[in-house]
Amino acid sequence: MKSIKYIGIILLFAVFVLACKDDTKEGTLILHFKPFYDGLPLQTFTVHPFDSPQQLQFTHMSMYISDLRLYDQSSEKNLDDIELVNISFDNAQAAEAGYTMTLTNVPAANYSGIRFGIGVPPDLNQMKPADFPSSSPLSKTGYYWQAWLSYIFMKTEGNLDSLGNGTFDTGFALHSGSDALFRSLDGPIPLVIEDGKETILNIAIDYKKLLAGVDIKSNPQNHTPQDTAEIVKIVNNLSTAITLFQ
Amino acid sequence: MVIYPVLRNSCYWFALLFIACIGCHDTIDNPSGDLSYIPYHPVPYTVDIPQGFPALEQPGDNLMTVDGIQLGRKLFYDPIFSVDSTVSCSSCHQQAKSFTDGLDRSNGVAGQTKRSSIDLINVGFTYHGLFWDGRASSLEQLALVPIEDPIEMANSWDTVEMRLKRHPNYPSDFRKAFGIENISQIDRSLATKAVAQFLRTIISGHNSKYDRFTRGEIFLEENEYNGYLMFFNIDPNLPDAQCGHCHNAPLMATNDFFNNGLQEASDLESIPDKGRGLITGDPADNGKFKPPTLRNIALTAPYMHDGRFKTLPEVLDHYANGGKNSPNKSTFMFNLKLTESEKSDIIAFLLTLTDSTTLTNPAYQNPF
Repeated sequence: MKSIKYIGIILLFAVFVLACKDDTKEGTLILHFKPFYDGLPLQTFTVHPFDSPQQLQFTHMSMYISDLRLYDQSSEKNLDDIELVNISFDNAQAAEAGYTMTLTNVPAANYSGIRFGIGVPPDLNQMKPADFPSSSPLSKTGYYWQAWLSYIFMKTEGNLDSLGNGTFDTGFALHSGSDALFRSLDGPIPLVIEDGKETILNIAIDYKKLLAGVDIKSNPQNHTPQDTAEIVKIVNNLSTAITLFQ
Repeated sequence: MVIYPVLRNSCYWFALLFIACIGCHDTIDNPSGDLSYIPYHPVPYTVDIPQGFPALEQPGDNLMTVDGIQLGRKLFYDPIFSVDSTVSCSSCHQQAKSFTDGLDRSNGVAGQTKRSSIDLINVGFTYHGLFWDGRASSLEQLALVPIEDPIEMANSWDTVEMRLKRHPNYPSDFRKAFGIENISQIDRSLATKAVAQFLRTIISGHNSKYDRFTRGEIFLEENEYNGYLMFFNIDPNLPDAQCGHCHNAPLMATNDFFNNGLQEASDLESIPDKGRGLITGDPADNGKFKPPTLRNIALTAPYMHDGRFKTLPEVLDHYANGGKNSPNKSTFMFNLKLTESEKSDIIAFLLTLTDSTTLTNPAYQNPF
């Protein structure tokens, strides 16, 4: 009688344990951020045609990606608060591979799209690099511009051959920053995250589209209010310059 | 006539015996190497971090203590590290020169090194690469390097460890700093940890004119203020001197590496002094160097990684002219079209970054 009682208790305990077992299904989302120029992988220090007869070569491309979320019709899942994505690659293989961001423990589900910000959201942009530990992407002092009291959201740097004669006579540094230039993008692409599996999403940034309509020759930098119009063009071009594919 | 050689021989043998006794000091006094009889009471060190500075991050296995810092300070000033006991860390990093040495390229035991010594002010806040080329990832690693550099100290860590173990005082210092039980536990890891602890105490950010200005305690002179506005590009009506990209507040440095136009080259591979590129192996990093802090810049001439500029006006001329061309030259390097008056104002601002208290702070002085 006593042993039956013990067996009963053990069985009850086992049922309880099984019932409480974590049955969350999770997968991994791998994002590849890839720089392109006119549809081809973009390598730094290579020459590309710009507004004729001008040519340009890029030396540095990077941006903060923030508030990365997957969403379906009823909810959103926040995956990452902020990451500095450097897509400056000086060899073809690296440029084709892009910058990889791996997001683990993503709840398995059928999502209807992805959202993310380009830049530092206003609440974080009130802070300074000194407010963050060195491991944080927001501790980068080279990404804070004192005069704006803002992080630099996106850097696009290189050299312009303004006459098309092979001499790169003008260095350019097009930096976006300040709350008004923060942009949030919505990519309505169906994404299936399956338990224990990896889902890959490519995020292509075409710099020809990004710089469309920008007069680099006259505004190689955007540190003064007079230059704001050019950088506004760039951030407004983001929605057409960035495409998603699997 | 006959006595002298005898005396000379006696002196010789006596001297040898004396040296042997000194050398065997620990073995004779403490044959087991036991240190556990020495009290170990570590007192945590509280860092006084200037307003607006980032947190001073310390490795979990090397938290600063009063005795750890004291040991590090001794080791910093002791030439025991170098092969012939002539060069210490302080030889190239002299407090009176804001922890530089005033030379274009520093002298080691075997001649001239390839680099000018870099200022150690606020070095504890550098988290993304130390040395001009960023070869060390932490202060502990930084302290490891010069000892075995064939030009700087030309020693071996095995020899240094032996010297430290046999020293009359260091074993007890190591005990007090790290709680080791036995002399045999003294090693390069603990030695570099101690030096790193001392280096983390070298902080400037309270006392310069600029610091008092940013705290709202004083005004800058008109020329200094103009320089400040151009340095950080605050006033769009004044030229952007482009300084803030590489020398951002509050440390007046950044964590990135830049090619600041010191070398002419038609392609990345032909840049003569590879700098950062030699460490990363990435040609895009060739010719890039770390921007040093500009705090105390008036005291750290000559300038650049190879000390090529002797004065601040020379430096300003270099930046105002845009430097020499190479494919990865910083895009912030171009002809700035600054007037002589504007350059002078920027220098006036740079002089506000001087904190002379660091030159006399007893906590940084030679303890011997």
